[in-house]
Amino acid sequence: MTLSRSRTIWVMLTPAVALIGVFILVPMVLTIWLSFHEWSTQTGFGTAKFVGLRNFEDIFGPISVGRDFKRAYLNTAIYTCLSVAIILPLSVLLGLLVHQSRVTGGNVLRTVLFSTYMVPMIAVALVWSKLYSPTEGPINQMLSWVGIGPQPWLSSPDTALFSIVILNVWQQIGYFTVLVIAGLTQIPTSLYEAARIDGANRIQGFFGVTLPLLRRTLLFSTVIGVINAVQVFEPVALITQGGPANATNVLTFHIRRVGIERAQGGLGSAMAVTLMLSLIVAIILIFALARQKEDRR
Amino acid sequence: MNALSRLVLAAAAATALSPLSAQAQDVQITYLTHWAPDTVALLEDAATAYSAGNPDVSISVRAVPFGDLLTTIRSGGSDGPTIASIYDLWLPALVKDGVVAPAPDSVAADVTSNWPAGIAAAASVNGEVYGIPNEINVYALNYNKKLLEEAGIASPPSTWDELKDAAAKLTDESVGRQGFGVINSWAAGVVHPFSSLLVSNGGQLIADGEPQLDSQQALETFQLYADLIESGSTVAAMGTADANTTGPFLDNFVSGKTGMIIMANWWESALKGGMGDSFDNIGTAPIPVGPSGDTARSISYSWQTVVNAGAEPAQQEAAWDFLAWLNGPESGKNGASAMADILQSMGILPSRSSDVETYKDALERPFLEGYVSTLANAQGFPIVLGGQEFSEALQQTLEQLQYGQITPAEAQANAQADAVSILERAAQ
Repeated sequence: MTLSRSRTIWVMLTPAVALIGVFILVPMVLTIWLSFHEWSTQTGFGTAKFVGLRNFEDIFGPISVGRDFKRAYLNTAIYTCLSVAIILPLSVLLGLLVHQSRVTGGNVLRTVLFSTYMVPMIAVALVWSKLYSPTEGPINQMLSWVGIGPQPWLSSPDTALFSIVILNVWQQIGYFTVLVIAGLTQIPTSLYEAARIDGANRIQGFFGVTLPLLRRTLLFSTVIGVINAVQVFEPVALITQGGPANATNVLTFHIRRVGIERAQGGLGSAMAVTLMLSLIVAIILIFALARQKEDRR
Repeated sequence: MNALSRLVLAAAAATALSPLSAQAQDVQITYLTHWAPDTVALLEDAATAYSAGNPDVSISVRAVPFGDLLTTIRSGGSDGPTIASIYDLWLPALVKDGVVAPAPDSVAADVTSNWPAGIAAAASVNGEVYGIPNEINVYALNYNKKLLEEAGIASPPSTWDELKDAAAKLTDESVGRQGFGVINSWAAGVVHPFSSLLVSNGGQLIADGEPQLDSQQALETFQLYADLIESGSTVAAMGTADANTTGPFLDNFVSGKTGMIIMANWWESALKGGMGDSFDNIGTAPIPVGPSGDTARSISYSWQTVVNAGAEPAQQEAAWDFLAWLNGPESGKNGASAMADILQSMGILPSRSSDVETYKDALERPFLEGYVSTLANAQGFPIVLGGQEFSEALQQTLEQLQYGQITPAEAQANAQADAVSILERAAQ
């Protein structure tokens, strides 16, 4: 490689590297640095006092700071697992339905499905909080028509988080269905024809052709689904405020409460670092799992 | 003249006139509140009236849900609202972090001489005044007169035994009615009624900066909650509140599915809005006295307006001048302040001594009378550094108790340990 070519590469890379450095790496390093300090978010970084690992001890400790964080961590994990576990198969099912060229009104169905993703969360939250209303809510009224008694939905710690998951699935499913449809269009029809000639029925075709060739799409959907779910904030802030009894307190909402409302920047940073590390580990595991399956083939 | 020429001329005229318009209103201040739209409209009217006499100052009012108020104040920094309405519990932390500005001498003198000493103290930190108090709220028992009558209860309960008895009689599972309602998902809404019952049982939350939740009186108060839940007289799932401090808890009381609650006077407007003519059916009584208490007591707290320490000096000066006018006797009707007029529209008790005198007759109306009579034996909710975190930690403990996740003894142990840890950390 000549010197001038090397220089050209650096010139072309520098703007992107500089932007990434300023807007991604610096905040990340700063957050990690702050997680070892006691610092009020209302004061300059110069006032930060080094406390070693105390913030991490506190957020995993037995007092309210630790109890609330651990509960928020668990809630976020449950919310993420449930959301992804419901969205992925449902998006494949809906994608297969909509992808059928013979279905009348398929395009309309695609638009309707995707439209939920375009509705602002403030509107979604307002509508769903009314839908879930224990006394006048339409969902409980509809359940009563089939003899099911009123459900507490957002009012009980046992059902509140699951109710938020349902809301999330409703809003996100359109986006993930579009991803699946995009994946389905990439599968050559000749493969289905070959499978049919070999005597495969529709179910065998799905497991033998569709699912293996959707693998990369589903891997992408899983990663995006996990990242989206971990970042859940609006429905909690707008509807439940983390309650009842901390049942819907998720990490982003809790970090905002600790870091901004209480101005405990060090503790908030320690929570954010823990969240970031957990997310990195989860994403690495997902990729490792996918690669392991690919290697087996 | 073609369209382009007209556009150029218009732009030139706008440029030439802009210094004049800037001079006409060269100080712009913003006022952040959590009030409902109707009340915000009244505040905007007052701001317009002030600007009429002070054409160099323009005031814009912004409202956010109560649940977002503190976050909005803190995240705004120097670009945040010039004036903010705050709950007195937040003041020490906001002062410590340099978010709010001390009041000028004239305003400080006005506050210390024209407000009751206890309320002026709640607007001060280390003897320095930081805010102008406006509303004062106190807790009392609200009950549905019709439901009590139907249940054969002659008068509202005055002791905890009577409270449990009345709650049991009012409870009717077949129509989905609970006798006594408690709130969840809203820190102050959970903690204040508990605190009112605690002080009515002779206990305290914090005394001399030390948590007092390990007392026998506190254990009895936790036990009262457990008893009400266990007997079915209180259904925790009926007490959920949302970020606007409304939601199922309010809906259940206004629709007669809750017989009694402990709530503050500021709910008058919400109750009237939800009940219409049926509002007359709501009675107010002192907090029932616990087994270790000697008389009915309650908890009070105040709100105040503060000025952003990061605002420009001209903005701070204009903000204090506006606030002094808004809370002064010249701005409202019949010698009351404009702030008192706004507060009374919501059923909130004004705190300035002259406003209390002016509104003396209005404060004797049936709903408010019960609150005003309670004020004499009310204790201010403890204002300490870390108070908001303390309040939120106690909220979580109480909600766990309400949902049967912990026993009264565990609730007491957790609440005391949390409080000790939080107050120690905050004091460092």
